[in-house]
Amino acid sequence: MTTTGQKILLVIGWLLVTVLLLYGLIETLITAAKLFA
Amino acid sequence: MSVLSVLDRKHTVAPAGYSRWLIPPAALSVHLCIGQVYATSVYKTSLIKDFGASQTQIGLIFSIAIVMLGLSAAVGGTWVERHGPRTAMFTAACFWGLGFLVGAAGIAAGQLWLLYLGYGVIGGIGLGIGYISPVSTLIKWFPDRPGLATGLAIMGFGGGALIASPLSRQLLSAYDPSYNAADPDSVASSGAMVGLFVTLGIVYFVIMMWGVFTVRVPAEGWKPAGFDPETVRKAPLISTKDVSAANAIKTPQFYLLWVVLFCNVTAGIGILEQAAPMIQDFFRTGGTSSVAVGAAAGFVGLLSVFNMAGRFGWSTLSDHIGRKPTYVLFLGGGIILYVVLALAGGTSTALFVLLACLILSFYGGGFATVPAYLRDLFGTFQVGAIHGRLLTAWSAAGVAGPLIVDGFLDAEGKPGTLTAAAYHAPLYTVVGLLVVGLIANLAIRPVNARFHESQEENV
Repeated sequence: MTTTGQKILLVIGWLLVTVLLLYGLIETLITAAKLFA
Repeated sequence: MSVLSVLDRKHTVAPAGYSRWLIPPAALSVHLCIGQVYATSVYKTSLIKDFGASQTQIGLIFSIAIVMLGLSAAVGGTWVERHGPRTAMFTAACFWGLGFLVGAAGIAAGQLWLLYLGYGVIGGIGLGIGYISPVSTLIKWFPDRPGLATGLAIMGFGGGALIASPLSRQLLSAYDPSYNAADPDSVASSGAMVGLFVTLGIVYFVIMMWGVFTVRVPAEGWKPAGFDPETVRKAPLISTKDVSAANAIKTPQFYLLWVVLFCNVTAGIGILEQAAPMIQDFFRTGGTSSVAVGAAAGFVGLLSVFNMAGRFGWSTLSDHIGRKPTYVLFLGGGIILYVVLALAGGTSTALFVLLACLILSFYGGGFATVPAYLRDLFGTFQVGAIHGRLLTAWSAAGVAGPLIVDGFLDAEGKPGTLTAAAYHAPLYTVVGLLVVGLIANLAIRPVNARFHESQEENV
């Protein structure tokens, strides 16, 4: 595998999991904010 | 057959120069999907209404899935080691996706047994195989930081619920406009539930395929640049030899660690499964709780965040302070936190939330640190298979934790009428369990040499 190909895989892979986790984290914190509202 | 052979271990050996940082997202793509199992409470009320079933009948779906997780991880561990992570991840994706589709058929047909078979049995097998599929591969790619590597992956299992809960609510709202995502008591239609299950099955299958096609095993003898195995070998408790899965279950260390994991998980599950009513009960005076239903749901979400963060944070810390001291922190710290929770948890919401969040971070940390602990004791040879067998402790804790808490609470009164005092007996019982776990952890010593494999040393 070329270095460029590997870099693309690295970017897509980490982007995928980061977007998923950020979505979950933000949505959860919005709900959790009600606890101290 | 030739198509499937690309999944096999020998076809997944990484070429020279392959970045090991491709492996954590591959592992995460699997764990973030199977972590959905922690978000089943989102549609529990809808299923109860659809099937006209009891809480227990619907709760059984989750219990079957968790029991199947432990059983398939224990039985399939050696198979996963032999066939490699790609085959295992592909199998997990098929079972997990199919589990949702069969479950959807069960909802559409109004057949609860089909939901048990689909989500519980088939999906549960996907859970078990998926959970252990990347663990030994990560440990081999990160011999210098096994705690960080497995913590990253197993963090995904905790994070899966964070994603699945809001996603499920939003999908149900899209499929059934009368469903109110902001109202925990709102019920979605049967059609919306079918749509949700089909969508989740397909989406999770596709995401897990990313892991299938990017995961690789390191070539024989590969080690990270600048890594000196001698630095790891000098640490206490770390094995310089490998132990097979068959031999590992003959050692006292395996059973001591089983007890440690069982006690730690039982303690955490006790809070996790009772979280929303528990915070309301702790702040109930005169029959009314000062914590609203919506706020209690927020508390559950916050616990999930700490459960996830603990998996990564504490597991990474264990690379620096050692596995045994890390579990002393989980179990010893847990004892203190539970006692304070019982004695003073009802005095302030902030204190209650802080204590519960720390306890849940220890719960998550216990899951994430155990593969590295196994690596230390038994080497890398069949660590995935040994991990699979150890996860039976999780299944047992999944039954014991709710039994302990629910058993005591049932004797105290009806749900919705309990106060903080009702929790004293279950919390002190959990403290007793943690003491047992702490003693078991302190009793762990290096594995006797007679269990070592007669092959070259491995770290």
